[in-house]
Amino acid sequence: MSDIQLYLLEFDKDRKEASSIAAQSAKRLESKELKLLDLIESLGEYISHDDTATRAKADDHDVIGSYAKGLLALEERGKWDEERVASVINALLDNTHALRNYKQQSERYPVLQLIDTLMAKYRNAMKSVHDSSPQFMSRLINYFEGEKDPRNLMIVFSILKVPMTEWDIGSDAQDLFEAVFNYFPITFKPPPNDPYGITTQDLKDRLRDCISSTSDFAPYSFPALLDKLDSTSMNTKRDVLQTIIACVKDYGPRTISLYSVTLWDALKFEILNSEEEDLAQEALSGLSEIARSLSQASTGALNAYLKPIAKECNEHLEDAPTKQSQAAGRILGAIASVSPEVANMILRAVLPTLFTLYQAADNFPKRRGLIEVFVQLIRADLQVYGEWRAAPAVQQAPNGDRTSSADLAANNALLKFTDQALEVLSTGLSTVPVKEVSFRLMTLDALLQLAKVRQLLAPQEIAEIIKLFHTIVITEESYGNDELKAASVNGLVEIGQQKPQLIIDHAFPAFMAQLPDSDVDGSTTYVSVLEAFAKLGSERQLFETVVLRLRNKFNVAVQQQASVRYLRAILSAILFAFAQGANNLQGTPGSCPYYNDLILPLLKQSSGARETRSSLFEDEGVLDLIGRLSNVVLRTQHLEFQKQIARETYTLFRTGPAKDLPPFGTDAPTTQGRTMIVSTHVLAALQREAKPVDDINELLTALVNFAMVDSLSPKVRAATSAQVSLVVNKFIPTAELKAVTGTVLYAPTDLLNPANLTINSIRTIFAIIKGLVLRNHTTLTTIFPSLLALLSSPEHGTTVARGFSTLLQPDDLLTKENHCTISGLRKQKAFSLLVPNISTSVRSATDASTKANYLIALSGILRWLPYTIIEPEISALSPLLLQSLDLPPEEHEVKSATLDTLITFLTQNPRAIEEHASSLITRLLATTSEKRNPAKVRAAALQCLALVPGQLRTETVLPFRKQVAKRLMASLDDGKRAVRGEAVRCRARWMGMDEVEDEEDE
Amino acid sequence: MEANKDNANPTILNQSDLPSRRSDSGVKKRDDGGTGLFDSLVPAYTYLNDPFAQQASSSDTDDDSVEEIDEQEIYDLISTISDPEHPLSLGSLAVVSLPDIHIQPPSSPRSPISTVLVEITPTITHCSLATVIGLGVRVRLEQSLPPRFRVDVRIKQGTHSTDEAVNKQLGDKERVAAALENGTLMGVLKKMLSTCE
Repeated sequence: MSDIQLYLLEFDKDRKEASSIAAQSAKRLESKELKLLDLIESLGEYISHDDTATRAKADDHDVIGSYAKGLLALEERGKWDEERVASVINALLDNTHALRNYKQQSERYPVLQLIDTLMAKYRNAMKSVHDSSPQFMSRLINYFEGEKDPRNLMIVFSILKVPMTEWDIGSDAQDLFEAVFNYFPITFKPPPNDPYGITTQDLKDRLRDCISSTSDFAPYSFPALLDKLDSTSMNTKRDVLQTIIACVKDYGPRTISLYSVTLWDALKFEILNSEEEDLAQEALSGLSEIARSLSQASTGALNAYLKPIAKECNEHLEDAPTKQSQAAGRILGAIASVSPEVANMILRAVLPTLFTLYQAADNFPKRRGLIEVFVQLIRADLQVYGEWRAAPAVQQAPNGDRTSSADLAANNALLKFTDQALEVLSTGLSTVPVKEVSFRLMTLDALLQLAKVRQLLAPQEIAEIIKLFHTIVITEESYGNDELKAASVNGLVEIGQQKPQLIIDHAFPAFMAQLPDSDVDGSTTYVSVLEAFAKLGSERQLFETVVLRLRNKFNVAVQQQASVRYLRAILSAILFAFAQGANNLQGTPGSCPYYNDLILPLLKQSSGARETRSSLFEDEGVLDLIGRLSNVVLRTQHLEFQKQIARETYTLFRTGPAKDLPPFGTDAPTTQGRTMIVSTHVLAALQREAKPVDDINELLTALVNFAMVDSLSPKVRAATSAQVSLVVNKFIPTAELKAVTGTVLYAPTDLLNPANLTINSIRTIFAIIKGLVLRNHTTLTTIFPSLLALLSSPEHGTTVARGFSTLLQPDDLLTKENHCTISGLRKQKAFSLLVPNISTSVRSATDASTKANYLIALSGILRWLPYTIIEPEISALSPLLLQSLDLPPEEHEVKSATLDTLITFLTQNPRAIEEHASSLITRLLATTSEKRNPAKVRAAALQCLALVPGQLRTETVLPFRKQVAKRLMASLDDGKRAVRGEAVRCRARWMGMDEVEDEEDE
Repeated sequence: MEANKDNANPTILNQSDLPSRRSDSGVKKRDDGGTGLFDSLVPAYTYLNDPFAQQASSSDTDDDSVEEIDEQEIYDLISTISDPEHPLSLGSLAVVSLPDIHIQPPSSPRSPISTVLVEITPTITHCSLATVIGLGVRVRLEQSLPPRFRVDVRIKQGTHSTDEAVNKQLGDKERVAAALENGTLMGVLKKMLSTCE
């Protein structure tokens, strides 16, 4: 009796015994007592046994799976010879055909693994089985027929790919193709918990690899795929297009040349009548791939493909601007960007028609449509021939020839058309009425792209384009949204990247001529010129010239006593150029770029250290800009250099002792107080080791005293506060920090004493604490409780409450770039020290105003915190936030902040706020309909309310739908357009709700 | 599917040529002719950097001036509706255009009711979807305008072979209501309106 028989008989009686029989036979196999072949054959008997009961056992009990596993284990122990391989595979095919008869996936899987191993490790052996038996291929194909399990299919595809790519499949090609194409398109969706770890994409990829594996499939695959392209399912179409692209890439030019025109005829519809943009994109890549493939074959094949395309596209151009003329432009552009050769063929075939149509066109929309196509062709040309600046010196053609880019450029078919194009486009841009915005934008873009193509235009021709552009910036009347002016400036910047010297030679003089030495006539035409100029400065190669020219203009304007407004504009332009960061400002220990010729003179002028001090430098706006400019340049400098200038932070190069100057001399005249604005920016630029004075504690005291002066202007006051924060954050060592700030906050200065509170002292308190918060200093644990206690002050509680929003607010001076200590944990720390405390106090507060103060403080903290920090407290905080919406209208900043926080809650964790739905909806409605709330708050409440139906559960929200829809009618009639817009959006979201319900019902 | 379209190849207007609020009203231009490029260089002086000052003044110029609902606002509401045949907006297909929108003020001082008249221009004269487009415009406006506006949507005279019949349908309240009960039609309308901001 064979092992198999023993096993099956024993199975009913004693399962233990049965499995030991299986184990035994595996052992005997190993020791070669049992012949493998016999085993498989005896197995085969049972599979086709007449006795259904016995056969069922063979099916149910994983017999074939176990033996396949056994064989796999065996194979691992030693290499098989060709004969063994042939006998195993033949035995399998003979005896266990067809695999679908085994119902359990777990049985079929090891068998497939076994065959896969044979294919992978014994390629030659398997191939010779195929070569020697004509029926083998069809038997193998039939063996897998009907497989449906994704895990198994992954292996089937991988097995079949070997004969596809490596064997001579001859007459079996069609069967082999159909064996895999039957599964196309893959519609498998992994079950929710995805037990297989196989994605739809895995299957799709493997199937696609099979279909594209051999050009022998082309006669079957292209017709079948194109047939499926007519499907109404977007997913199927997407699959088809991706598979076609794979086939075009893999089948090779000879095969593709047979199908190129057929493919064009089918793919074009996806672009000309596109419904989904991504399908159009895929179809475009398909068309380009065909051209790329054919470029490797003969010019004749390429020509045969391109000719009908050019012909049809030319026809579509005749009725531009239409959907199809646009599509024609996309098609031509996509194909032309394949290679210089293809670009040349397309350009020669299309441009003559395009220009003839242009000349004959009687309206601007049509001409615009034609230029749009032209632009796409120039862009394609640009892609294959390169830009002026970026093109490599040597380029490799698709056929492997290496050409110098100069030779290549000489072949550019666009060269023959440039004269005509420049003529048409220049006339179009300069003579057509300004109201033809889109037409002129398009001609401008065409000119710009032409100017960028490497070695296409002569310098003089590019100069003419530059002139057209700057003329628009300088002389054209403003129209509409000034899109054309903006595009001209950007065009100049782009040309500046390619040909900086041409911009300097041609555009700069024109711009400079527009900048007056003085603006006594009050004209402000210079503003747009300065803006354009500043933008050009963001281009690295133009930066230095821009800065020098503007500096000279600034000096002249000062001499001529121009207006403050003009000076501010020039300084802004210089600052803009610097702030773009286009240039390396790194200096040496002894020097700093732009210091002697720009920064030092400005600092001296601002402080009156120069004799020619002008009243212009009393303007706070001018001083602020000078400060910011100094900061940008100085902050990256070497420590040694900074140490030299640190001593001049307060003197700003005036002679005489610093002790007479602010902040040290508090009775200094107000004009001198203004230099605090400049010194703040210098102080901000300094590294910690570059101390502005020897005794930092003395400086802090002086600053605190100066901050108490009532007559300071708002800007000087803000500067003083900023200096307090900077000193606390940067210059006081950690060890001394508690003691030093202690003398100010507590005795002797005692700012935190409720009796000493004034608006000035409150500002200063927060300035100090802000510096500490950023450092995340431990002394905060004692300071915060004292600060919170001030919230119950009847007189100053509200002012203190508002201050909390300054603590974590991003600041333009207290930054890492300005060498401040910014702890990553500061928000977490401030949250844990303040929020639980506030949250308890709100609940226990007895009088309404104290309660309001706590809510204001809370909102000021929360507005700057990321959601992850707030999350643990979200359910405790939600009711408090909602209460803060009830505050009086003058606390609108608090409401804005609260609404922002609520929007975050709703997006991140709607469940947490679900229980407050009723209160939330009611308060939002009240907030938006309260006309005394500013428009910004009314709009924000609507934005928040619009999130509710999507984020909270339908059954929670639905009961409010009617009420909301009705109440929002009033907001639809709000006095402000922006609020009405939000109301429309919000109401649509609420009205759309029950439609979702309907869909679910269907 | 493609072949069924009434007009498979419509003319398309460019976004820059469509009417927009700023270009038409001419207000709110910067008085210096600049684009505000430098505005962000110096942070504005606001509540946020000085919350201590009294807030009464900071509700600034905001609330007194009323911005009336005007033709441009109506245009902005409906120009972003998608055409049922193409993934294009009614504005870019010139199906709706600013000069064809009229707001008629209340006929008597005692009546609060204003009328919005929108005339739509189908892309071709035999467009079978003209009614659906008209319905879409109507639904959009009824959802978005306060009840003091009466909405009147019509096919522009002479732009459609059966404009009178279509106008009759669009003007008949009961027929409109009945049409909106139709699930398939509502599906189409919902898709058209889904591109509205």
